[in-house]
Amino acid sequence: MSQTQTVQDAATDKGWEPRIATFLCNWCSYAGADLAGVSRIQYPHNIRIIRVPCSGRINPAFLLRALQNGADGVLVSGCHPGDCHYISGNLVARRKFALFKELLQYAGIEPERVQFTWVSASEGGRFAAVVEKVVEEVRKLGPNEKLVKTL
Amino acid sequence: MTPSHEIEARLRETAEELLREKRVDLFLGYEKATLPFRTTPLFLTSPEEVERLAWNPFCTTNLAVYLPRLFKAPASAREAERAPPLPTVAVVLKGCDARSAIALVQERQVPREKLVLVGVACPGMVDVRKAERALGEHEALGAGEDALGNIHVVVEDGREVTLPREEIVADACLECRAPTPSLPDVLVGEPVEGKDPDGARRQTDEFASKTLDDRWAHLQDELSKCIRCNACRQACPMCYCKECLLDQTRPRWVGTSTDMSDVTIYHLVRAFHMAGRCTECGACARACSMGIDTRLLTRKLGQEVEDLYGYRSGESADVLPALSAFDMDDAQDFLTEP
Repeated sequence: MSQTQTVQDAATDKGWEPRIATFLCNWCSYAGADLAGVSRIQYPHNIRIIRVPCSGRINPAFLLRALQNGADGVLVSGCHPGDCHYISGNLVARRKFALFKELLQYAGIEPERVQFTWVSASEGGRFAAVVEKVVEEVRKLGPNEKLVKTL
Repeated sequence: MTPSHEIEARLRETAEELLREKRVDLFLGYEKATLPFRTTPLFLTSPEEVERLAWNPFCTTNLAVYLPRLFKAPASAREAERAPPLPTVAVVLKGCDARSAIALVQERQVPREKLVLVGVACPGMVDVRKAERALGEHEALGAGEDALGNIHVVVEDGREVTLPREEIVADACLECRAPTPSLPDVLVGEPVEGKDPDGARRQTDEFASKTLDDRWAHLQDELSKCIRCNACRQACPMCYCKECLLDQTRPRWVGTSTDMSDVTIYHLVRAFHMAGRCTECGACARACSMGIDTRLLTRKLGQEVEDLYGYRSGESADVLPALSAFDMDDAQDFLTEP
């Protein structure tokens, strides 16, 4: 059986569910996710939230590490530009993320595996919509096999 | 192109003058090595020894790599009290090396006022592996340069072989866009132009035009040679961190095995840390004992930084590095919108 077939089978019959490591900044996106919960907005349960002080705190090594340890996708969300609690953390992060995403794509890793967005504390609906979209896209790709460490 | 022996003579004069007048404590240059196609770094402290200085087509090492260690910050306030005053250092730099030195000044690893940048207009340096391949069965016993800049090699039976310079010059040199150092304190040699300044762009475009899976397959094939010796990191003038992320153990961010997952992540992290900092000197590729194309990813990131933020490292000592700066209007079309 070819590898792609195995992946497809796993995705359809075995009930494989994507796992998305989700990094949320403490000040906006984490509160946005909280608001989604408090407002009882439904979103897929495939995400595992990790709270970070700021999107600027995120070292791309975190994202690689998540993918290596079996996450099928990674989502990073911070405050909208101009709203950062630390004034410019998300603006510095934006440059890092743009380059990192480009690097992964150039290296041959599906760009949908690593996604970035901004969610403010009042955007519970937006948070749910983003999660839905990311989960759907990663589900289409199937399990992450390129960077996963099997040793 | 200024002949090498003239450049060599000028370098010796410059070194003699700087050291004799005590304007510098140390003069960093190249010395002939015992093997053909090789030179070794030379740390000169007295004007009597300037005859050891050499300049030939084999001066490949990026001497800027030594600068951060010469200006290491003291570990503690107590140590700072006892620390000797900072040295003044003159250093011989080719176009790419000069960019490295300026980038180190930009990143505040080296104080500009303690440096004397001796720039040499560089006609491109020989890639030892290309030269050995061009010689085929022959074993080189000695190598030099003729008036046209081509490489003369004496092989085992005393015969001489001439290798055209263009064919054995390093890839990084072929792609070089600024072989003449910008902003040197002393410039030696007539300014030269790059041979194929669009070459790097062409290569990334070609690689990017492959499908995602082909790119991945190519990268895996290339990286499967890696033995995780860290030579690419050690050789890089921009890798000066006191404690490298790759060496951290609590937590260990990057595994040390030669499992393809660890290897790939190592190379992705290394390349990413070079984003907007790499000066394209090719030290990593030269250092790699397995012949990995280490510049595959760094080349792309350099171009990406240039396209997105209009920045090339080491071009001016006064601007902030691209990844330390930001603009409210930076592109963000890569973001996920619901």
